[in-house]
Amino acid sequence: MSFALEASGITKSFPGVRANDHVNFAVEHGEIHALLGENGAGKSTLMNILYGLYQPDSGEIKIDGQPVRITSPHDAIDKGIGMVHQHFMLVSPLTVTENIMLGQESLVPGTQALQQLARLDHHKVAGRVRELSKQYGLEVEPDAVVQDLAVGAQQRVEIIKALYRNANILILDEPTAVLTPQEADELFIIMRTLVGQGKSIVFITHKLREVLASADNISVMRAGKMVGSVRPADADQNKLAEMMVGRNVLLQVDKAEARPAGTVLTVKGLQVFDDRRHMAVNDVSLEVRAGEIVGIAGVQGNGQTELAEALTGLRPVAGGHIYMLERETSHATPRRVIESQTSHIPEDRQKHGLVLSFSVRDNMALCTYYQPPFAQGLEIDFSAIDERARELVERYDVRTPDIMTSVGSLSGGNQQKVIVARELTRPVKLLIANQPTRGLDVGSIEFIHQQIVNARDNGAAVLLISAELDEIMSLSDRIAVMYKGRILETLEAKDAVREQLGLLMAGVMKDGMHV
Amino acid sequence: MSNIPVARANFSWRRLAGDFWQLIKMPALAIILAFAVGVVVILLTSRSLTTVGEAYYGLLRGALFKQRGFSETLVATIPYIFLSLAVAVGFKTGLFNIGVEGQYTIGSVCAAWAGVAFSGLPAIIHLPLVLLAGALGGAAWAALPGYLKARTGAHEVISTMMMNYVAFRLAEFLVDGPLRDPLSSGVQTSAISPAAELWKLSAYPARLQDPLNALMVALVAALLVIVLARALLKSSRFAARMQSAARRRSLYIGAGLLVGVLCFVALPPLSKAWWPFTDPYDRLHSGLFLAVLAAVGVWWLLWKTTLGFELRMVGANPSAARYAGVSITRSIILSMAISGALAGLAGTIEVIGVSICGCLPLIFSSGYGWDSIGIALLARNNPFGILAASLLFGAMRNGADLMELNSGVSKYIISLIQALVLLFVSAPAIVRWVYRIKAAPKQEDDAKLTTGWGGPL
Repeated sequence: MSFALEASGITKSFPGVRANDHVNFAVEHGEIHALLGENGAGKSTLMNILYGLYQPDSGEIKIDGQPVRITSPHDAIDKGIGMVHQHFMLVSPLTVTENIMLGQESLVPGTQALQQLARLDHHKVAGRVRELSKQYGLEVEPDAVVQDLAVGAQQRVEIIKALYRNANILILDEPTAVLTPQEADELFIIMRTLVGQGKSIVFITHKLREVLASADNISVMRAGKMVGSVRPADADQNKLAEMMVGRNVLLQVDKAEARPAGTVLTVKGLQVFDDRRHMAVNDVSLEVRAGEIVGIAGVQGNGQTELAEALTGLRPVAGGHIYMLERETSHATPRRVIESQTSHIPEDRQKHGLVLSFSVRDNMALCTYYQPPFAQGLEIDFSAIDERARELVERYDVRTPDIMTSVGSLSGGNQQKVIVARELTRPVKLLIANQPTRGLDVGSIEFIHQQIVNARDNGAAVLLISAELDEIMSLSDRIAVMYKGRILETLEAKDAVREQLGLLMAGVMKDGMHV
Repeated sequence: MSNIPVARANFSWRRLAGDFWQLIKMPALAIILAFAVGVVVILLTSRSLTTVGEAYYGLLRGALFKQRGFSETLVATIPYIFLSLAVAVGFKTGLFNIGVEGQYTIGSVCAAWAGVAFSGLPAIIHLPLVLLAGALGGAAWAALPGYLKARTGAHEVISTMMMNYVAFRLAEFLVDGPLRDPLSSGVQTSAISPAAELWKLSAYPARLQDPLNALMVALVAALLVIVLARALLKSSRFAARMQSAARRRSLYIGAGLLVGVLCFVALPPLSKAWWPFTDPYDRLHSGLFLAVLAAVGVWWLLWKTTLGFELRMVGANPSAARYAGVSITRSIILSMAISGALAGLAGTIEVIGVSICGCLPLIFSSGYGWDSIGIALLARNNPFGILAASLLFGAMRNGADLMELNSGVSKYIISLIQALVLLFVSAPAIVRWVYRIKAAPKQEDDAKLTTGWGGPL
């Protein structure tokens, strides 16, 4: 029997790294094949080879048993391979139909001679989109403008885009990263429908639970090599994690009962605008006590970013009050917030958390460079900064050749460790951790989770913002769910049920009312 | 994830040399390539190899070997150093200060005013006063666009360029109006007090005979020794041996005092007895020392101070700088002011160092400012690189005349070569292609200049 897609002995080296080392990977007809692995394990390289972005140094690719050479993404599409990227490749002011035909425009017959001025055949494409959408249960309105669509709908547009180009093999790169649990479940149903009608799906992810729930077959990569394949029936989360990391991993964070003390952070009726002057945070009130972790669950883009920025002085407060240990900090500058012993692990580590061109050493001192012992008067004492950086690199196991290496050349996990080391080794009364483990490997996640719990146990108040429900549930002592700028409900973590949180994240209240 | 051992950097000369070569490789190759293309262009226009030889030989002789050739090269280098330092300070903060020419002009006007208005003061007071006036003038002229950028988002490329024209016209108005020397037939300011002049190197023996002047030199020397000794003692090798900060302090202050006293007592008679610079027509002046000091100062500011750390942070990633508690507004205004102060100093030093009439004439701007943007780029904003690159540009500027005379090749070929140098520096892919060098791994930019178009930061 031939495979839908078969790659054998794929090797690809980059200067200094062997990203793929004799990798074998085969997808059967009509199966959902999950490809699991940490960042840097070589998943992306393999997919980029299959999609024609890279040429392998050696190895062979077969489609339906026929050896092929895939020279470009265009070629991949011609051979029936479609890819849905993690970051959607859509032009937001255009309609669904326009996006789908982009690059493969249908022209109204008779106008072809006009070349660039020929008329686009919207009608024909829209008809085809409706057909596909009906056939595979992909609900999409062809005339809707993409920027008005929810993330889940945009993803369906991406899938239709691939199907429109006659893809038989779909590669979905981290498709659930931006979805609510319910939306993710919908996606799995769509995936089932697709394979039911003969398509094959490669599903790249790092979420173990989803893999077990949705895949027919699971392949795991580690350090450029294919570790092996298992059927979901023969695996559990621990086994998969062990295959990914190569050792036993603590999936559940080990933490003692919280012993909350006095209130550290009080937010009352907070209102914050986003960049487009829309009310992003609307009448949010919450309290975080010393020694507890309050998790803010919610799908990305429901005001969490703006909330964190307002709390840290990076975004002006439009209404309401923020109190830090009874002192009002609603209009404090970022520096005053820092000096009131607030630590902040920002959502976008490369934009806010680090200066990528600076060394590890300089980034370790990013917020404290002006304080003794790191500076005396105007002059920086680099020997003190060096010493501190060396100590932190060791203590937080930052893998870097040298403290003078630029932070931009480290892996994502190590970059995040630099931030965590910097933020948690100052005296901390309040820790605001926004998506602290996004895009990190299991080993780093484990480490950072442990550090956050340690901070709590040392008496810090922790506000954890995350779009990963698993993370919220395993770390938090109390969970607040944010939807469209409001906090719908705050629950004790021990009473919180996954399904209920998922519904709240989608704006559905307990009594079934939709907000 | 790879297992990279956490190692400490070990010092080695070999590594230092390697790093140095990495640092200068691309600019050096770009310069060689530009001169090579220059050969082709001269060949195309003259069709004779001897012309190429004559041209480059003339350039070299004019820049270095003819009588006072090297001195004149240094004279041209001095304003280049100040102005490209000014551009570099802006670049490092992510600001493209194209207005150094205007700040230079304002600096020269302020200096001329202070040089005339406070006539009668001794040099020890008047000279620093004039330098301060020029620096402040330039600083204010640059801080204004900085303020506009920080507050309203007005892009500094536009506003500083516009400010240039305002500066030129303002200078013309002042020189032709309130500051004009009523007794002179030329349009120029009154003569600047000799006390406010920067001494030519040949003038030292005569000047030093005044005890106040000797005191000034002694103070500067003492200060220099203190700063140098302090830096040396702080460097790790000495610091390890001498733990006590108090002992270190008494050591470097003592050294400074000693040198100061020695200078004050011994320099006037010694210089009278023997002095290396005897040619009274040699225009090389003390501005050279100030320029080198300025380069060291800018290096210290950018890499050794909290302010420099902030400026570089703002230049490399303003979002992260804000996150770290740095005020972007303050940093932008300060950076522009420092940049403007350096440009203003360039104007000041030209007026009190080399101005032929001993005053500020109507037409003074000389295009140094535009060239210095290129110098800063060539030197990648490194203050010591700027010293070298300024020398190169000064030499080319100075050698051009003799080149034209020698070979009949237009001296504007120099501008062409300079432009090519910049082209090759900013498009390293060309240089790599010519020399078959493999691309270096992608580096994050030290400063991003493409941000901040529109909207306050």
